[in-house]
Amino acid sequence: MLTGSGKLKKKAGYIRNLILDMCIKAGTGHVTSSFSCVEILAALYYGRILRYDVSFPEWEGRDRFILSKGQASPLLYAILADVGFFAKNKLVRFCQANGIFGVHLQNSVSGVEITSGSLGHGLGVGAGLALAAKMNKKRYLTFVLLGDGECHEGSIWEAAMFAAHYKLNNLVAIVDRNRLCATGFTERTMRLDPLDKKWKSFGWEAIVINGHSFKEIISVFDGIHSRRSDKPLVIIANTIKGKGISFMENQPLWHGVAPKGKQAELARIEISGGGE
Amino acid sequence: MGNITMRDAFFDRLYKVAQKNRNIIIMNADMGAPSLDKFKKHLSGQFINVGIAEENMVNVAAGLTLGGKKVFIYAIMPFVTSRCYEMIKINMSLMNIPITAVGVGAGFSYDESGPTHHSTEDIAIMRALPNMTIFSPSDSVMAAQCAVMSCKISGPSYIRLDRHMLPGIYNQNHDFSDGLTSLKNGKDLCIISTGNMVYRAMEVSKKLADCGINAGVIDLYRIKPVNAELLLRNIKQARAVVTLEEHLISGGMGSAVAEILIDNNKTIPIKRIGIQDKYYYAYGGRKNIQFLCGLDADNITKTIIDWFKKQRKTVYGKKS
Repeated sequence: MLTGSGKLKKKAGYIRNLILDMCIKAGTGHVTSSFSCVEILAALYYGRILRYDVSFPEWEGRDRFILSKGQASPLLYAILADVGFFAKNKLVRFCQANGIFGVHLQNSVSGVEITSGSLGHGLGVGAGLALAAKMNKKRYLTFVLLGDGECHEGSIWEAAMFAAHYKLNNLVAIVDRNRLCATGFTERTMRLDPLDKKWKSFGWEAIVINGHSFKEIISVFDGIHSRRSDKPLVIIANTIKGKGISFMENQPLWHGVAPKGKQAELARIEISGGGE
Repeated sequence: MGNITMRDAFFDRLYKVAQKNRNIIIMNADMGAPSLDKFKKHLSGQFINVGIAEENMVNVAAGLTLGGKKVFIYAIMPFVTSRCYEMIKINMSLMNIPITAVGVGAGFSYDESGPTHHSTEDIAIMRALPNMTIFSPSDSVMAAQCAVMSCKISGPSYIRLDRHMLPGIYNQNHDFSDGLTSLKNGKDLCIISTGNMVYRAMEVSKKLADCGINAGVIDLYRIKPVNAELLLRNIKQARAVVTLEEHLISGGMGSAVAEILIDNNKTIPIKRIGIQDKYYYAYGGRKNIQFLCGLDADNITKTIIDWFKKQRKTVYGKKS
């Protein structure tokens, strides 16, 4: 476990390197969708927020982390390998014939709670897990990472309504608010703002943060396991799609694409500051 | 159990099971019934009405199941199948999560409500899903037993209940583990049927007997996985096979049977009787809709006789 923004920043750089290597080698993968939420996941997994045990992945008391935006699988796989859920050499086989995973998330991989890829499912499943925890008097929390474009799906709002109705204060949604969906900007495609007010009006506590600031992320999760509220919590994390590689940042055309050739080299140079 | 609907028989039995197994959760999408009210009143901690939000019902059910519960989701048939199909695909079938989806309103059960409420394609879409088990009970004794059987299945399952009171076929303690029952032997042809059409097949078999055709009847109540070995054994003596269902011909139970026959090199004339490739906005009750699409006993009998005569001429070279 790491504490302090400096160490976490270094780790985030290292994870970006792993993701880039995986996707460049595979010639595919959602690099930019992964890069926008690196700090969020790094904070959860390395910042003493998420409770898990790599030696006992099925531990009943573990917090459940649901990656609903399943296209960010390279990020989760890189972290799960790095923390020890499976061997790191499996990462280089991303999307390869002898590999164990591909573009979208599979729950067959150690440490992964659910299969995802089709959007709009994770929050409902997370609500079910949170409700089961209450019914079974378990103290684990359920965290669900959503894409902001994913919030176009009606099923997200069905689940939002459900979670507030059942007072699932053990459910935490995080929206990766990079303001881009697959083909363009969310506000031009289908307006989401004011997103925090939408969640609030559905009965959630909503907090907006800078999703690349470890200080803000760690601060918002501080004491999360003893939070006092009868509402589920949503954290709207303002982020930049492709964060860390200047020519990929905020560019719709880089959705679901891995850099090749010279661009791959440039990308590597830009993030090469990261090391373990 | 001829004086109780499948739905009430199913939920009455499930209630008894759920009283003993407090891990069982019943979710529904704003459905009401006296047999459901018991859950609400006496097992309120095991009863969840998600409102009119079937997609969310499947997703929440998946989460509850991953959290250790055995979950039944219940709605009118199209809304617990096609309405939330992708949720079922991913959160039941793909992840092999043992949720049981219970639909009421097989075929034209919701007769006056029209095609939005008819369920004439559910077998086709649900049997396309890997890991899925499908039960299509033909009477209330079997429907009640489905509540017990579905708790023992390690993967997802789907139970298609008729809405109407159907004639009783089975004795209380009948064992349904085989997946099909041969109700009547016949040396000329075998009618394989499911759901509400099983009793109709028995009626038709009598009418065929009056016309000199000896027709057997098989109740194929587990549509997936079909007990292919037992099915093939049961039709071994038959010279022709007819499938009968209140479901679209395309992709239904008859298609499942045809696939098994073809894949097992069983070259035998087969006639699939069901609903043609269309929807029915027709009123005057289910009987009238069945008449319009040729699923009343007289029309079915005529269809079979005309077809069977042709088979005898072309395949067996016999004069009819």
